[in-house]
Amino acid sequence: MVDAGLLDAIVQGLITGSIIAGGALGLSLIYNIAEVPNFAHGDMITIGAYLALVFNNPAEIPFLPAFGSAPLPAAAIVGVVLAGALGAAYELTIFRKFRQKDADIITMVIVSLGLALVLRNVVLFLVGSKNIRYESASVSNTNFDFLVTGAGMTVRTTQRQAGDVVTTGLWGYPWWLLAGGLILATAVGYGVFRAYRREEGFDTVYLVPPKILGTAVAIATAIVLGALIQLAPQGTDPIVATRIGLSIKHLTIVGVVLAAMFALNVALKTTKFGRAMRATADNMDLAEVRGVDADRVQLLVWVIASMLAALAGVLTGWFATNLTPNMGFTLLLPIFAAVILGGISSPYGAVAGAMIIGVSMDVSVYLLPSHFATYRIAVAFLILIGVLMIKPEGLWGDV
Amino acid sequence: MAVADFLITLVTFIAIYSLFGIGLNLKFGFTGLIDFGHVAYFMVGAYVTVVLTLPADAATYGGIGGFDLPGLFAALGPLGSLFGWVLGVVGGMVAAALVSLAVGVPTLRLREDYLAITALGIATILNTVVKDEDWLFNGPYGISGIHKPLVDVFPLSLGSFTVNMAVFGLLSVAVFAYVAYWLVNRFREAGRTGRIAMAVSVGLVSLWYFVMPAIDGGTVELTKNVLWLFDPTAGPNGGLDYDRFVLILAVGFLAGGYHWVERTINSPYGRVLRAIREDEDVPQALGKETFQYKMQGLMFGSALAGAAGALWAVNIGFVSPDQFASTITFFAFTAVIIGGTANNKGVILGTTVFWAIRNGTRFIDVPSQYSIQLAAARLILIGAILIVILYYRPQGLLGEQDYDIDLPGSATGGSDDV
Repeated sequence: MVDAGLLDAIVQGLITGSIIAGGALGLSLIYNIAEVPNFAHGDMITIGAYLALVFNNPAEIPFLPAFGSAPLPAAAIVGVVLAGALGAAYELTIFRKFRQKDADIITMVIVSLGLALVLRNVVLFLVGSKNIRYESASVSNTNFDFLVTGAGMTVRTTQRQAGDVVTTGLWGYPWWLLAGGLILATAVGYGVFRAYRREEGFDTVYLVPPKILGTAVAIATAIVLGALIQLAPQGTDPIVATRIGLSIKHLTIVGVVLAAMFALNVALKTTKFGRAMRATADNMDLAEVRGVDADRVQLLVWVIASMLAALAGVLTGWFATNLTPNMGFTLLLPIFAAVILGGISSPYGAVAGAMIIGVSMDVSVYLLPSHFATYRIAVAFLILIGVLMIKPEGLWGDV
Repeated sequence: MAVADFLITLVTFIAIYSLFGIGLNLKFGFTGLIDFGHVAYFMVGAYVTVVLTLPADAATYGGIGGFDLPGLFAALGPLGSLFGWVLGVVGGMVAAALVSLAVGVPTLRLREDYLAITALGIATILNTVVKDEDWLFNGPYGISGIHKPLVDVFPLSLGSFTVNMAVFGLLSVAVFAYVAYWLVNRFREAGRTGRIAMAVSVGLVSLWYFVMPAIDGGTVELTKNVLWLFDPTAGPNGGLDYDRFVLILAVGFLAGGYHWVERTINSPYGRVLRAIREDEDVPQALGKETFQYKMQGLMFGSALAGAAGALWAVNIGFVSPDQFASTITFFAFTAVIIGGTANNKGVILGTTVFWAIRNGTRFIDVPSQYSIQLAAARLILIGAILIVILYYRPQGLLGEQDYDIDLPGSATGGSDDV
């Protein structure tokens, strides 16, 4: 039996961080381009989760006839699209009007608070406060045990099947392979970084910043190498051993959020609307002078942000295996922390901030005595306040 | 339950939350600080006062203290233990102010939106601490058996049934007379919309309070409602019961807090606070240490929230962390904005409107399985009112109040351009 250690806490933290990142992406758009510190974002997440529920598990909603159940991915897509329509409604009926009155940021905060109150209670009104779950296949965890022995590292995967713990895989890497693989991965990553980097100039816009691309390629190379080259086990008598619990669900969540981030990034950097959005974020008046239709940009911002929020809601509901009307509001604080930490003007910053928040929340739960487990969110906040003291513009300044 | 009893509960609530809202108004309305963590000071005030006044040997309490301040002065009679309770309230207010000092030092220099989110976060964390640390204030079990000031004196009876009825009845009628006098004066000053609004609401309230009970319950109910201070069922000869005393206490505290804040914001000191709200650079250029002013405004507002918390504990008789969720802050913001930001009368009006909607709708008959729906519908309504008011009347129902000292050359009195 191997215990879960710091590594597992970090991996769990990355998953928590992905969920926070889903909300943080949308919030950073609204915060930056629409200039609304959107306190309704948490409840937009809740709304998205329940919209998917309508198609996934309508029997749980009192006033709906049970018209059958769509698989979760399909329901999620419909829910996200509907949430986008709602986002347009928020912009057209509320925020556009306040913007036309030149409402200041305090007013926007309070308007979004009123919207939050309405949204949360609409959910309560229609569905009630009971815990509901999605109709989806249950996913079992696979435990990866990493045993460091004298000759190298052994990996053992175990799974719980029908009540028994079954070993599903056993392989290993000798030291020379570990060292060689790491050097190779680093070299490939650095090579990509060098090949991709261009002369710095004010008009240099990378689709993916070279540092991030290099790091991502290095990590991907290491994982691919590890998965392809599986040699004989290097003994099972560990000097150090640690366990990571993972499931397809966790990988899906991380993958979906990273894909959303990449799609948003491509949209912001390569499309005409993306350029209009970035220009509006920079200086709305100047953008309008240059022929950008600010109202359309803002409408698009709200639609995209609502869709991202709904996506985060579905992932949260799936991850936590239950939906409550308060689920989004409890996420609001970490999401704000992530957005401010990353610097409100950068989607990458928002994701990086979310990862930092997620990892520090789970690692602190692991390091502190079990009694402190309820202070996860407090940890996120202490980091936020610390960063605001030292670097109020966030860790990353701009896109 | 007679309508009078319901009204007494409602007005006690309104008085306590108005005091809470006036504290918020000082921060948000006059100084321009968006403190989304206001409820934390409500909680600190309530808990510290309760612990300072709790008997040392209180059963089912495992937290710090039980300092029994009222017991310390009990030798001086009922007034002595009242003094002990007041000391407890002062302790709660000081504690609330000190906590806000600790919160303010790192956060007050931040941008306004960052201040809002960090204040909300800190309030949430403080609530978690109180909930999870059993050794501190008994954790999630809360504190019961709270010391209620002067509870042994009540029901207060002055003699025979007739004497009680006459004295308290006359006092009740006098209150009605004063309210009517005040309303008539306001009616004269008000514009056309104001007059219509007043006529409709006064008409509806008196229909509900006087006419409906008279039709339903005859003269007995009507008498109960008119002589509301007198409770015929309290004690052998009737008299003033404890709920009515709490009402008087809460209104008294509200009057004190109102007066205190009014004096503050009408002083040169208050003018600096308002100047900070409008543009912090100007008072800074004039040599004012704006950070200190903001900090003092924050502490002052928090102390008022603490006093409201102490009253809340007496009124409910039980405190637990769940009572201090961040929604309370948002309710107070709604009340302040409905009534009129930077207007203390507006806070009281807004709180009245808010709690009348929130609690008054209990008279709508719905089957009990729809109680969640009813509660949710009220909050939807309140959220919608908040947005509509901000759009059509951002200054609130009453608008910013007038100040004692006009600006040179300003004929209309109080204005924004300080």
